[in-house]
Amino acid sequence: MTALVDAAAVPGAAPRERRVWRRLRGDRAALAGLAIVAVMIVVALAAPLLTRLEGQDPTTFHSGLLDSARGGVPTGALGGISGEHWLGVEPGTGRDVFARVVHGARVSLGVAFGATVLEMLFGVVIGLGAGLGGGRADAVLSRLIELSLAFPPFLLALALMAIVPQSVPRPLLLAAVISLVSWGNVARVTRAQALSLRTREYVDAARLSGAGPARIAVREILPGLTTPLLVLAALKAPINMVQEAGLSFLGAGVRPPTPSWGQMLSSATTWFRTDPMYVLVPGGLLFLTLLAFTLFADGVRKAADPRWSARA
Amino acid sequence: MRMRPTALFGAALLTTAAATAACGGASGTASSAAFDPKTCQGGTLTVLNQGGLSKFDPATLYTSGGGALPSLVYRTLTTRQRVAGEGGFKPVPDLATDLGRPSDGARTWTYTLKDGLKFDDGSPITAKDVKYGIERSFSPDLPGGAPYLHDWLVGGADYKGPYKGGELKSIETPDDKTIVFRLRAPHGDFPYLATATQFAPVPKAKDTGTKYQNAPVSSGPYKVEKYETGKTLKLVRNPHWSRSVDGQRLACPDRIEVTAGLDRSVINQRLVSSAGADARAITTDASVGPEQLARLDSDPALAKRVARGVFGETKYLAFDVTKKPFDDIRVRQAIAYAINRQSVVNAVGGSALAAPATTFLPEGKAFGQQPYDHFPAGESGNPAKAKELLAQAGHAGGLKIELSFPNTDGEGYGPKVAAAVQDALKQAGVTVEQKPLGEEDYRTLVGKPATQPALTLQSWGADWPAGGPFLIPIFDGRQILKDGGNFNLAQLNDPAVNKEIDQINTLTDPAQAAPRWGALDAEIGKKALLVPLYHPKTVVLAGKDVKNTYVDQWRGWYDVASVSVK
Repeated sequence: MTALVDAAAVPGAAPRERRVWRRLRGDRAALAGLAIVAVMIVVALAAPLLTRLEGQDPTTFHSGLLDSARGGVPTGALGGISGEHWLGVEPGTGRDVFARVVHGARVSLGVAFGATVLEMLFGVVIGLGAGLGGGRADAVLSRLIELSLAFPPFLLALALMAIVPQSVPRPLLLAAVISLVSWGNVARVTRAQALSLRTREYVDAARLSGAGPARIAVREILPGLTTPLLVLAALKAPINMVQEAGLSFLGAGVRPPTPSWGQMLSSATTWFRTDPMYVLVPGGLLFLTLLAFTLFADGVRKAADPRWSARA
Repeated sequence: MRMRPTALFGAALLTTAAATAACGGASGTASSAAFDPKTCQGGTLTVLNQGGLSKFDPATLYTSGGGALPSLVYRTLTTRQRVAGEGGFKPVPDLATDLGRPSDGARTWTYTLKDGLKFDDGSPITAKDVKYGIERSFSPDLPGGAPYLHDWLVGGADYKGPYKGGELKSIETPDDKTIVFRLRAPHGDFPYLATATQFAPVPKAKDTGTKYQNAPVSSGPYKVEKYETGKTLKLVRNPHWSRSVDGQRLACPDRIEVTAGLDRSVINQRLVSSAGADARAITTDASVGPEQLARLDSDPALAKRVARGVFGETKYLAFDVTKKPFDDIRVRQAIAYAINRQSVVNAVGGSALAAPATTFLPEGKAFGQQPYDHFPAGESGNPAKAKELLAQAGHAGGLKIELSFPNTDGEGYGPKVAAAVQDALKQAGVTVEQKPLGEEDYRTLVGKPATQPALTLQSWGADWPAGGPFLIPIFDGRQILKDGGNFNLAQLNDPAVNKEIDQINTLTDPAQAAPRWGALDAEIGKKALLVPLYHPKTVVLAGKDVKNTYVDQWRGWYDVASVSVK
């Protein structure tokens, strides 16, 4: 009996995912985006190796490379770029910019992915609870979702970052806080999808065959949610990255000397006239990664959209 | 608001001639006719500031030498000498005829007021008004001034101000012109203290308590037209003031309009562009940032509008020697050896904005600084020597310590300096964990010996340019305050040091006291109770039409009483 029901659900889902992937392969912009994101992930994972290759580390000061009389700007052209310092050094400290951006990538990407995963988790659990629980559970959880959507997420995150003791590891905290302020959308989408799926015949069949609510949620409803959730996750990751950069920019992110792109941008803002290179490196990387993420997410969304396929 | 266009128009008319001349001739030189104090009056001076307008009551202001803006409204018994260069370190008589006549071994100070002194309503200034001004600064309703008066005057510790406590008997006014102060102990520095705004006369009949700052009675060249807490201060001429009764303030502009609450970079950007009224603008609290220094170098016209100076101030690492591991002098010495002052200086803006410090007293004859470097770290630290000392102290395997500091960089001893210290100590095998604290938390925790973190970043500035206010609060064992407001962070209570402080306090001649303070500083330095990091320097811009701009030595900022915009 169960096998029969599963067979009814899976063939319906699998071709759709295959179709999405096939369409995505034809979308060059999305593929380029995916490639850039992949490179960034490799860079982040290999950060210690890359900096060892360069022979630097992200925290050592190099006072000798700065022009002290001119406010501590790096000596030499383009922010002190040299064979030893591939992207120059930071004004005021002389720390290696290349080492700092590749280590910063770990924070930026790590927090963005971590927050997205947590956020999907919260959103899906609460959304399924509301969509399948029905009645009072739906009423309570729906109000909770609305409550979370009513808060300005960034301000809430800023406040949460400020009240949590400094001893909590910052990257973990960042991921948790960002996911905590933005799971509302995920929950809402999940609830709507669950509501439409729960009346499908194969779900009724499963219920009649004696499957419990948890089993129905995991085995019957969740597979049908995969595609919309993947699209949502792809769209959310860059937003979370911006949130992290914003929080770090305002000094509520990771604690120095741990580098992050947002924090580097924050300290670079005053230097844009005298040392433009220092702004361009973290700013450019942040821009490139966000663009890549967005292109990829857009491609996934289009590929999964039935209306788009009708037009194409 | 309706006043504003008119004011701008008037100011524009005044400078039209100068502006056209500038367009025709070589720019810069044509408009800047030589400054002449006789004809400098006129125009509106704009002051662009970050802060400093949170209060304006002479009782609650905490100033050095009477402050930049307050001393335009409040004259005091003595004031700082308004000249460029070393002379600016000297106190000179203001309302009084001399710097004060000490008797009873500098325990009693007598002042006589000048003739013809008037408030802005034309009524005469008497010794009773000066006494009342000081008395009200003891009121718990008007807190915030420097603690010296409470500490020095007989009965000062228990006096609660005139609203509840009647008169303070240790200030006597035998007649309208004479005022006598009786101190608990000798204080040769009294003429310096008498520059503080608490020594400004306040007529009892006009005192409105906490509201007094909104409409204070002026004794100086300007009176308050409008004061909005934290935002604006507009000053206009006081008709009852003249240069014949005031030898220090030139008071050139007719109006002074102060705006506070601006961002430092915005202020300097506006001064660089010098557009409209900003051409006649200065700042009294926004130093040029490191990011603008490189521009000054490449633009000679801009470089001409820059004044440089120093305010006697030291940023340092403070140990609590009662706490581990800093109870061991070898650990403290090791940290002193390991410090990389070049990276600290670069972190706060490079050599134009900071000078590496090895002495606690700032540079300058007035402080009596005797150069010493007991634990020579060179330019960039001596980690080898530090490791050796740590090994002797039993920390051969490295040492882990915490460093507490304010979480903002504005005061020059925040996260940037902490990062530089952390990096330098890393080279010596010392792992520093950063503990940034909110400004408020930081002050509360550090101020009480029981809660004070063992290692902190600190700053100490001169209440007046002498060694006493530098060394006494930091090293006098009787100044350890258990209930808060403590600055003796090393908890040093050395009878020999205390005795020397008492002896120097009896000296009324600064020229005699200064070398003694310097020698005391060098002697205490051997104990490695703190690690001096740097002495800050000021680099300030002025609008292109501002003249007679110099940085006064006492305060390290423009002297507003001397500048001209005509």
